[in-house]
Amino acid sequence: MIHFMIFLPLLGSLLLLLTPVRWREEVAGFFAAVTLGLGLAIWRAGGTELFSINWVPSLGITYSVQLDGVSLALSLVVAFMTLIAILYASRRVANPGTMLALVLAMETGLLGIFAARDLILFYVFFEDALLPALLMLAIYGKSNRMRALVKFAAYTLFGSLLMLVSIIGVKSLGGSPTFALVDLVANPVTGPAQTWLYLGFLAAMAVKLPLWPLHAWLPDFHEQNHDSGVPDLMGTLYKVGGYGIFRFGIALFPDASEELRPILMGLAAFTALYAAWIAFRQTNWKRLLAYAGLSHMGFVALGLFSLNETAVIGSMYLLAFQNVYTGALFLAVGMLQERVGSLDTRVGGVMNQAGALGGLTLALWFASIAVPGLAGFVGEFSILLGAYQVQPWITFVAGLTTIAAAVYALSAFQTTFWQGRPLGGVRVPDLQSTEWLVLGLPLAVALLFGVYSAPALNLIQPAVKTVLAALGAN
Amino acid sequence: MLQIPDVALAPMLPILIVLAGAVASTVLGFNLPRRALTIINLVMLVLSGISMVTLWDSGATAFGGGLQADNAAILLGLTILVGSIMTLLVSLDTAYRARVSFPEFDAMLMYAITGTLLIAFSGDLIVMLIGLEIMSLSGYVLATLQASRRAEESGLKYFLLGAVGSAILIYGIAFVYGATGSLTYAGIAAKASGLTPANVGILVGGSLLLLAGFGFKVALAPFHQWTPDVYGGAPTSVSLFLSTVVKVAAFAGMLRVFGGALADAPGWSSVLQILTAATLIIGNTAALFQRNFKRMLAYSAVAHTGFLAMCLLGTPQAGGAALGYYLLVYTLMTAAALAVVAALQRDEMGMEIDDLRGLYYRHPAYAVALAVCLASLAGLPPFAGFFGKYLAFQAAFQNGYVWLSVLAALTSVAALIYYLRPGMLMFMPDRTPAREYPHGQRTPTNFAVVLGVLGVTVLGILPNIWYGWVQNPAIWQFLAGR
Repeated sequence: MIHFMIFLPLLGSLLLLLTPVRWREEVAGFFAAVTLGLGLAIWRAGGTELFSINWVPSLGITYSVQLDGVSLALSLVVAFMTLIAILYASRRVANPGTMLALVLAMETGLLGIFAARDLILFYVFFEDALLPALLMLAIYGKSNRMRALVKFAAYTLFGSLLMLVSIIGVKSLGGSPTFALVDLVANPVTGPAQTWLYLGFLAAMAVKLPLWPLHAWLPDFHEQNHDSGVPDLMGTLYKVGGYGIFRFGIALFPDASEELRPILMGLAAFTALYAAWIAFRQTNWKRLLAYAGLSHMGFVALGLFSLNETAVIGSMYLLAFQNVYTGALFLAVGMLQERVGSLDTRVGGVMNQAGALGGLTLALWFASIAVPGLAGFVGEFSILLGAYQVQPWITFVAGLTTIAAAVYALSAFQTTFWQGRPLGGVRVPDLQSTEWLVLGLPLAVALLFGVYSAPALNLIQPAVKTVLAALGAN
Repeated sequence: MLQIPDVALAPMLPILIVLAGAVASTVLGFNLPRRALTIINLVMLVLSGISMVTLWDSGATAFGGGLQADNAAILLGLTILVGSIMTLLVSLDTAYRARVSFPEFDAMLMYAITGTLLIAFSGDLIVMLIGLEIMSLSGYVLATLQASRRAEESGLKYFLLGAVGSAILIYGIAFVYGATGSLTYAGIAAKASGLTPANVGILVGGSLLLLAGFGFKVALAPFHQWTPDVYGGAPTSVSLFLSTVVKVAAFAGMLRVFGGALADAPGWSSVLQILTAATLIIGNTAALFQRNFKRMLAYSAVAHTGFLAMCLLGTPQAGGAALGYYLLVYTLMTAAALAVVAALQRDEMGMEIDDLRGLYYRHPAYAVALAVCLASLAGLPPFAGFFGKYLAFQAAFQNGYVWLSVLAALTSVAALIYYLRPGMLMFMPDRTPAREYPHGQRTPTNFAVVLGVLGVTVLGILPNIWYGWVQNPAIWQFLAGR
């Protein structure tokens, strides 16, 4: 079942090319829905066992996959948000076949990232997800997309190639027979070499978190992407750095994680505050959301690097659910752009004519800035609570972000949705048909898991405990 | 008493079949059209491949070890044949447009392939040198064959620099012979350790001269300067041949000499690592600034020389396996990319990178194929280029060249950028008129492109299909022969 879940979207993406144009939306939706269904079935069954076979035996590369705990939670979110993306792309994009195929192809890469329990396999899926993201930007992007493409790809590859060297080093210096995670953990690298290898690994994850100073690709990537926000949503899902550090970084480099803890926590806190500050100055919704997402990622990183159990749980919780509301916000911005023809944050007066769009956007913004009762709060609060026990002052600095977040979120909302509608502005229609679902379902999820977080925590908590218990044993 | 030389036909058969094709092209060229000859030659190449496969695990030798058909030779020989077959397929369609559609083209090509196989099968330095010279001389002619100033310029450059390279190489052979008193790889390997200090100096000198000579042939910096001009100026099907088959053969020679005969000799590896680093930096950086796609691919060939040379720095067991895998993948992806260029170019200048804009909307299949090749060249999984790069990094890393693998990782970022630009331009919608040759899609070229694209995809997803054959360390342990 797990292999079906990983590769079904890719199969769907290939079949989509053979499907007649008029049926493409339905077929894509079908494949995304079945994938989500498989995910829910796996969840019901309580996750899957580790499945491992040799891929390239002489090199010790295995095909090891497992969906449980954190991986399963993130996979479910990916499957859910992909379905939402396809729902919206079908409505918004004219002749969306290519985009739907790319979205599905990317879903396979993302699910693979979360399922992989072998470093080379992880690397392969990590890069696989890159190609559809690049193609979406190339085909649907705006006029300056070449610059954004080069930045995005160069940053990603800069990190991941250093990670590749690290991966080679981990096996070669540790003497593990295979690249499977269990074997690598059993044959750890010790001493200063571990720190260097961790830095190589971190390079890739810091680009994909993203973490200051390796974040510069992010705003351009979002700004130049298609107006609908569908590629942005997929790009948000692709921010898997936090997961990589959790799954492989902490497990493989325990001493180095503790050694670098203050520096990394400082960087993370700085990222969170710095991004929130810059977000306040943005006048383009996509750039604003990019920086808001970056600020959340600073939080995720802060929790992870603190190695405190509560904080790491919060990190994973935030990582999973910020995909839901940040992704939905990108789509909401896409709807706004469709109506007023601009991504500017100073359009004014949209609320008067499109009340539901405004209301749902505001509710999603509240989730994003961690208003209690919505999913963002659970994550951010746990991170601050846990990280405070490790580094109070750094956490205090990061905590200031929550104030900044309210400022940038509400001021942008105010200038767009309130204030007067400019004279001669076109009439703004309200949400129509599936748009209600596109924004409503993510909000419902954010609300549900903001109030009743137990199902998600039951998935995340044991997995985090296992990883951190191994840390204490060393 | 006259001693009867050790002549065994079986290990020579793969080479003789190709040579028969060459002779047939020379003689029958008066009676048959070129297409018929090309088809005969394709059949010859396939037959040669079959005869190689029958030699698997036989370890047959001829001329007292001067020619050895061991598994390493067979694996490299098959790689050479794949590149040669793709060249012939592409030339079926484009040689006419390039005004090189004479029987002599085929004859020269087949002679060159004979030489390349001789290098892969060589057991001593003289056989290797003869193969290298046959290959180079035919290559000079091929590069000049087209009646245009550009081709003449490129051929002359190739000839002058190639001749210098050969001269240095021969000088190196003389030095090595002077130091060890032997020309066979096995003899050199046996004597390389345990020389008197005076002879060690001569051996180091000889191995460095050999390295420089080979550097010319495989385009290692700083001996790479002819590469962009020659690859860019020659007809595209010839560039395809020079950048794949000739390079594979030159690497086969290097593997024999440095991984086999001189494996224990001091000195050359520390110089090679500097040359490799320089090649990685120069090749990748220079490719960033190219406007012409064909010329960019030429620089990318230089950059790939750097990655391939990393394999030589590994232990012969790990490095040989890595090189064996990488060379086939390199051949497939480079040949397929150049095949698309050959089909779509308006003249032999190739295409400007900007001309590729919107190619996906005019020639979707070729654009996707080219994108796959570029992704593979850039080393993105799931295409086979990734595993090639990974193996090269690993070979260098495990033998202690950590800094080199980090440098290679960083220069790969530059590589990604110059592959990304044309790759992404193809998918950007475009309203300007098409700038490529409209009738380029023909069956043989399509066949070559499909072969390359399927190859890199399948070998990327299931690397074991080929790596399973090349990975056996025993193959690469006795490169010098037993």
